[in-house]
Amino acid sequence: MSGKTSRRKFIRRSAAIAAGAFVIPEIIPSTVLGMGGVKPPSDRVVIGAIGTGSQGMANMRDFLRLRDEVRFTALCDVDSVRLDNAKRVVDTANKSNDCRTYVDFREFLEKETLDAVSIALPDHWHGIIYTAAVNKKLHVYGEKPICRTISDGQAIVSAVRSNNIIWQTGSWQRSQANFHRGAELVANGRAGKITRIVVGLPDGGRSIGTPPVMDPPPELDWDMWLGPAPKVPYRGVSHWDWRWILDYSGGQLTDWAGHHIDIANWGAGLEHTGPEEISGSGVYPPEGIYDAPVEYDFLCRYANGIEMRVANASRLEHGMGTTWYGDLGWIHTDRGNVLTASDPEILKEVIGEDEIHLYKSENHWQNFIDSLRSGRQAVSPVDSAYRAISVALLGEIAMTTGETIKWDPDKEEIIGNPRASRLLSRPYRKPWSLPEA
Amino acid sequence: MNPQQHKFKKMKRQYKFSLPAVLLLTAVLMLAVTSCRDKAAYRALIISGQAEYDRETASQAVKQILDASGLFSTDILIAPEKGEDLSGLSKEFSKYNLIAIAYRGDIWPENAYGAFTAFLEGGGGLLVYYPKTRFGETERDEPVSSAISRSHTFEVKTVQTDHPVTSGLPVRWLQPEDIIVPSPVLPGSGIKVLATAFSDTAYGGSGRAEPVLLAGSEGGGRIFATMIGLPGEEQEQAVHSTGFIATLQRGAEWAASGNVTQAVPSDFPTAAAAVTRTGFRETSTAEAFRMMAAYDIGKSTRYYTHIREEIRKAGGDQKILSGLEREMVKILNSSAATAEAKKLMLRELGWMGSDYCVNAVKRLIEVPELKEEAESALERLGK
Repeated sequence: MSGKTSRRKFIRRSAAIAAGAFVIPEIIPSTVLGMGGVKPPSDRVVIGAIGTGSQGMANMRDFLRLRDEVRFTALCDVDSVRLDNAKRVVDTANKSNDCRTYVDFREFLEKETLDAVSIALPDHWHGIIYTAAVNKKLHVYGEKPICRTISDGQAIVSAVRSNNIIWQTGSWQRSQANFHRGAELVANGRAGKITRIVVGLPDGGRSIGTPPVMDPPPELDWDMWLGPAPKVPYRGVSHWDWRWILDYSGGQLTDWAGHHIDIANWGAGLEHTGPEEISGSGVYPPEGIYDAPVEYDFLCRYANGIEMRVANASRLEHGMGTTWYGDLGWIHTDRGNVLTASDPEILKEVIGEDEIHLYKSENHWQNFIDSLRSGRQAVSPVDSAYRAISVALLGEIAMTTGETIKWDPDKEEIIGNPRASRLLSRPYRKPWSLPEA
Repeated sequence: MNPQQHKFKKMKRQYKFSLPAVLLLTAVLMLAVTSCRDKAAYRALIISGQAEYDRETASQAVKQILDASGLFSTDILIAPEKGEDLSGLSKEFSKYNLIAIAYRGDIWPENAYGAFTAFLEGGGGLLVYYPKTRFGETERDEPVSSAISRSHTFEVKTVQTDHPVTSGLPVRWLQPEDIIVPSPVLPGSGIKVLATAFSDTAYGGSGRAEPVLLAGSEGGGRIFATMIGLPGEEQEQAVHSTGFIATLQRGAEWAASGNVTQAVPSDFPTAAAAVTRTGFRETSTAEAFRMMAAYDIGKSTRYYTHIREEIRKAGGDQKILSGLEREMVKILNSSAATAEAKKLMLRELGWMGSDYCVNAVKRLIEVPELKEEAESALERLGK
């Protein structure tokens, strides 16, 4: 066996063990061995990618920028044109042409011997493919939001725990200095006791009209693209624009929950819990196949008294980003290195040695690789990713039902509302089902 | 300059956008063209005429829109030509809760001015419509027409979300095939800009965000102005857009009463889509179900979204949900309804349905085209 087991052990233990003891012949061109300052391929994390669309390729390039840390050896996508393009990128990086390609992730997972996999897919596929990959004991770099439904999320979290692998969510803001600093100031009470959080996520709005049925392009396996989602004919909407259709995504709300809600939870210590009461409303396009809310505004109440408002940015004073309000002031952070506060002095505060120091990562992809090597949890583990998207999914349920939702964050159940509880999961189209952990 | 003009000029500096300015635009009355005397809560008078626009289309559209709300019974008054006697105007105002006005023309005589002032100060409402209306602009002023944009579809931004007229509206929504006019100088107090639109220079606009919905007060009365809804443009989309219709209805109700009791219609546009109505009336839920039964892929989704919006609005009210469920089951049972319509109804029933729908859903398992969707619905219903 297996190179696979050996290499994985290596990756777990390499921080302490000399590399030479774990040579994996199949991937070592002998000319590379022993090159000064460059990791030999046997030291590299052997990684595959499922999903080679815009985000999948962005992640691949971020991994390749780590130079000698990773080697991509296999790729999977239901679009053969994208797959070919991705193979070219990988082969160029590898200076070879032996990167293998697959259309069916099941075959990919069955045949490939990998350490890790980078996955970036439409949300409706996350439950099945994340769980299947984790069950193969692969370390996963998985895009946010990690699930389309709460029950998908629970399955993924359970699989990660029982397989004891390293999970890194694509919530890369955690590896940015301003978000880390903002969250750490909040965690150490520099805004006082937090009572309110406001999270601004993008407005929706890109029109995709009411297109007619058409033949899928020859490169696209449409049935496989749909997977567990309801069977519908191809109408020219797949890549990228899937995120405006509720079968596949929850729109900007769920797309961005893994960023600014995640940061909000990180600072306020809500990473391992959820709200108890959620209420609000959405604005839905009256015409066209775009059916995710283009505007949304809901309030979450937590057991500790914190209220979190999540809304599209145009509705909010601070617009995009996370704003924590405490009894000493507020702290706001957003992309573009934004970190502001009600009093600039707050931002000069020094965090003492004995205070809370949030996990520090300066490169999200390097952090994943480092975690593989050290066995230390990555900066964006699966549990907090699940709690971040749960807030958005519960908000979605509150908006869909028009009701105030009572949620038990420990049992992870909706209380006293069977109708709303049905929205915690979705039937999968046959033959698909969630793999057991 | 007569005393009236002097008074106006003085006030114009202070309230460039309110009552006196409007009076200057205005002239005369002649006849009430149409009216309908029903159970409407408010009476509205449209004063039309003496303007360089298609006043018949504009005033008829506004009448139909106001009446379609069910709140107004509206009369139209066409002004006589310029230079003719306007003094008859003074008698009219007290009969109405709302005066709707759209043009500039001869200066009103003193008795009409006084009556109109009394109308507003006594709590009456003024609705100013038609985008090319220029507030506070006399024929002697330089026309500010150079920066009026060409007709195009643009986004309106609701900038006041806590005003009764705009409360509950999307923050961003599309207005189709309309113009954006440059704003007048806004006064320091009294007038609130409720919504704006960026007037893109690419369409000949001003390059600024211009006010498109405004609200203010005068004495005890209220003024609502809409700068969108230009008739005569591409397929009359601007006037038939639900954004224009609903904001006009809400603005008119607020101007007449100080409150807005109308719900935001389910076909109000968003940033993803502009929406127009064939007429001016909102689709009823019964009509939405009728149209839903004929749904097919590629056809308008508006009746399906209407039904989904009704489900959301029900807010868990079992009685309302049961009523909606009955209508959905009718579609499942209908031999005339399309398979695609049934599929969409199965999706909704799968989460919001009750025992009532179960038999109808089960029967569809026998229909090969619907088997998958029917089984999914039953799985979700736990049946």
